[in-house]
Amino acid sequence: MLSFIGKRLLSGIFLLLVVTSGTFFLAHVAIGDPTQGLLGNSATPAQSAALRTKIGYDDPLLVQFWNWLSHAVTGDFGKSWRSFQPVNDQLGRSIPITLSIVVFSLIISVVFGAVIGIVCGLRPGGWLDRVLKVASVVLFALPGFWISIQLVMLFAVNLKWFPSVGYVSPSVSFVGWIETITLPSISLALGAIVMIAEQLRNGFIEVANQDFVRTLRARGLPRRRVTTHVLRNASPAALTVLALMFVGLLGGAVIVELVFNMYGIGRYTQQSSQIGDIPSLLGVTAVTVAFVVVVNFLLDLVLGWVNPKVRER
Amino acid sequence: MTRTRTTALVAMAVAAATALAACTSASTTGGTGGNGGSGGGDINDLNAGVFLDVTSWDPANADIGFDGPYLSAVYDPLVSLDADGKPAPGLATSWDWSTDRLTLTAHLRDGVKFDDGQVFDAKAAVANLKHLKEGVRSSQAYLNVSGFEAKDDKTVEIKLSKRDDALLYFMGLGRSWMVSPAAIDGNKLNDGPVGSGPYAYDKANSAPQQQYVFTKKASHWDTATYPFNKVTLFPITDQTASFNAMLSGQLNMQFANSANNPKAQENGWNVASKPSSWVGVQFADRTGAQVKALGEQKVRQAISYAFDASGILKAVGNGAGTQTTQLWPSFSQVYDKAMNDKYKTDMAKAKSLLAEAGYANGFSVKMPMSPIFQAWQPAANQTFGDLGIKVEWVDMAMPDYQKNAPTYPMFLAVIAMDGDDMATLTDQVTSKQWYNPNPSVDAFPEVKALVEKAENAEPGAAQTAALKELNTKLVDLAWWNVWYQADNTYFSVKGIKVTPVTGMMFPTLKFIQRG
Repeated sequence: MLSFIGKRLLSGIFLLLVVTSGTFFLAHVAIGDPTQGLLGNSATPAQSAALRTKIGYDDPLLVQFWNWLSHAVTGDFGKSWRSFQPVNDQLGRSIPITLSIVVFSLIISVVFGAVIGIVCGLRPGGWLDRVLKVASVVLFALPGFWISIQLVMLFAVNLKWFPSVGYVSPSVSFVGWIETITLPSISLALGAIVMIAEQLRNGFIEVANQDFVRTLRARGLPRRRVTTHVLRNASPAALTVLALMFVGLLGGAVIVELVFNMYGIGRYTQQSSQIGDIPSLLGVTAVTVAFVVVVNFLLDLVLGWVNPKVRER
Repeated sequence: MTRTRTTALVAMAVAAATALAACTSASTTGGTGGNGGSGGGDINDLNAGVFLDVTSWDPANADIGFDGPYLSAVYDPLVSLDADGKPAPGLATSWDWSTDRLTLTAHLRDGVKFDDGQVFDAKAAVANLKHLKEGVRSSQAYLNVSGFEAKDDKTVEIKLSKRDDALLYFMGLGRSWMVSPAAIDGNKLNDGPVGSGPYAYDKANSAPQQQYVFTKKASHWDTATYPFNKVTLFPITDQTASFNAMLSGQLNMQFANSANNPKAQENGWNVASKPSSWVGVQFADRTGAQVKALGEQKVRQAISYAFDASGILKAVGNGAGTQTTQLWPSFSQVYDKAMNDKYKTDMAKAKSLLAEAGYANGFSVKMPMSPIFQAWQPAANQTFGDLGIKVEWVDMAMPDYQKNAPTYPMFLAVIAMDGDDMATLTDQVTSKQWYNPNPSVDAFPEVKALVEKAENAEPGAAQTAALKELNTKLVDLAWWNVWYQADNTYFSVKGIKVTPVTGMMFPTLKFIQRG
């Protein structure tokens, strides 16, 4: 198990290094001289030159890369080229926002997706199963921003149950935090619920038709215990989907953050890339990749625990 | 003189956001008429939706565009502006120009202290002005300034290397915020503002990028100008989100999309607007160095006659603006309403002018295009096509547009305007900017003479008359092809009155009052 963990950690670190290095060089190639975007429309050549010196853009690219990497490995992602504030400070503000809505939406997705998936798996062809089929098509077809806007119009504008924009940190107000993340999380979760339900339902039906289940039933095990066995064997596929979904939700958060005016990782990425703020872009890339690596690592651990054969790969 | 601000970039971003919001706002309804707390009595709290986040608490690194409301909460300016864009007292109670207008003597307010206990005096003012002159973004306002000197505790002299009649305007626009000198020395502005402004920054209840909370100081020297006990500023770029926040009552004032004007009226909100940017075609190659045809006055005039400016204003600009051929603001004394029909749409005349210039079959030209300008592209395509001008559009992202557009002979433009007539002259005509890469004044002796006449004229009626003369000449030469002056629009609930100021993308707090 230790060697399994070691291999996964090493591959994660390698992936982190490759992705951030690639982002560094691609960003420099794609953005070119960033001073125009950073300074605004009427920057003079002298101002651009001063900014280039200030941010170290005049140094050779490999020197810039080494400067960035040598600090990044210590957890220091440098200063934003736009605001001259530490990137770490901004990440410290943005990560909790995105994690709040992504984790909350995952919880909603898992709870509702699991319940719906199991019920549909137990009664394939039933009315709930048919509803799930239709819902999965409809919710996948509907754009995320449209769902978000409808939620805002109903629950914020008309019913005034929730705020329509903004984010309140739990350290300021726990109730405010719940109020501000509820609509964005539901908006993100709707697609994920049907996806998890669908995966679990299909896995459930497949496992339920296997010989060992028939044997368990023939031995007279109670239905609840048979269901538990089926669920455990059907869960790997759903867990894999869950991990993929976490990554997908991080990406989907951009739209939700825009509609609900939350300055999370998604909007931070979008704005940094628009204005050519490379240190911010790299910081956010490193953190996002780290999240993906950690989630995949945890998934491997869980899958290895559920199915020992996985550890041998 | 040039200046640092997000002007066109911001104006373009606003234009794009407006266009995008126009697509999505149709899905919103009139709502329940969220009044944001206007239900009777005076409104004590201002909850304003600003388009962009504050760039920096350090005025030397801040943008003029949308930073005004944030910085005006916590800092006092040395020089302020009034509603007409004229310089007004701030921490400088008055000022005098030397007869050669190369020395500006400012007399400072007494009894002002910064939040950290430091006293505001001439030494503090000089430290601030030096910091601003060296600032990455603020320095452009002080290009013609050679030095600052504290003559005594309450008097500062600003020495100029060249006469600059727009200096006070740019200082008032957002280039003279005074911060504690100790905060400058200690580089403490990264942690938050340290000023003497009318409000205290409530860091504990603020969440950067989400909302900024300010509470009123009872002891401020100009406390009567600021009626709200608490001000919360929400940076909201997405205009649909901002409008929804207004409908839900979370905001009671917002930077608005004019497409929502009917809904604002349904909700009984106040609507305030003023010209903010001009929209049209910028001729970067008036001398014909790149495309010979554009060096011909008749060709530029033909293009001006060909465009249906009123139609474009109505269809793309939601009718929020003024169709015109000029870029001095429509309220300026330089502006001449009679000239707005100079290029009344006339395709036959346009073709005839092209033929007279020797381009009966048109010509070919490359123009840059970015998503922000796509709203105007169909009109441009059709008009140029009708004239026989073959345009090859080169697609690029917005930052690249700003970088590359100046290398093209002409391009579609949304350029922020100034509320000061001399600032308009420098920003739009004489100085090199990304949107005016080749001022080319020297290549037109009659223009050069009129520019010099305006620059050397005594400020006031004589200078205005000279600028009017120049304006007439520029329109006649088809210096630009201005289609219209687009308005910035602000919604506020009953009980809050906004006075927009041209040059400020979002007015500073003194222009947001009860009413």
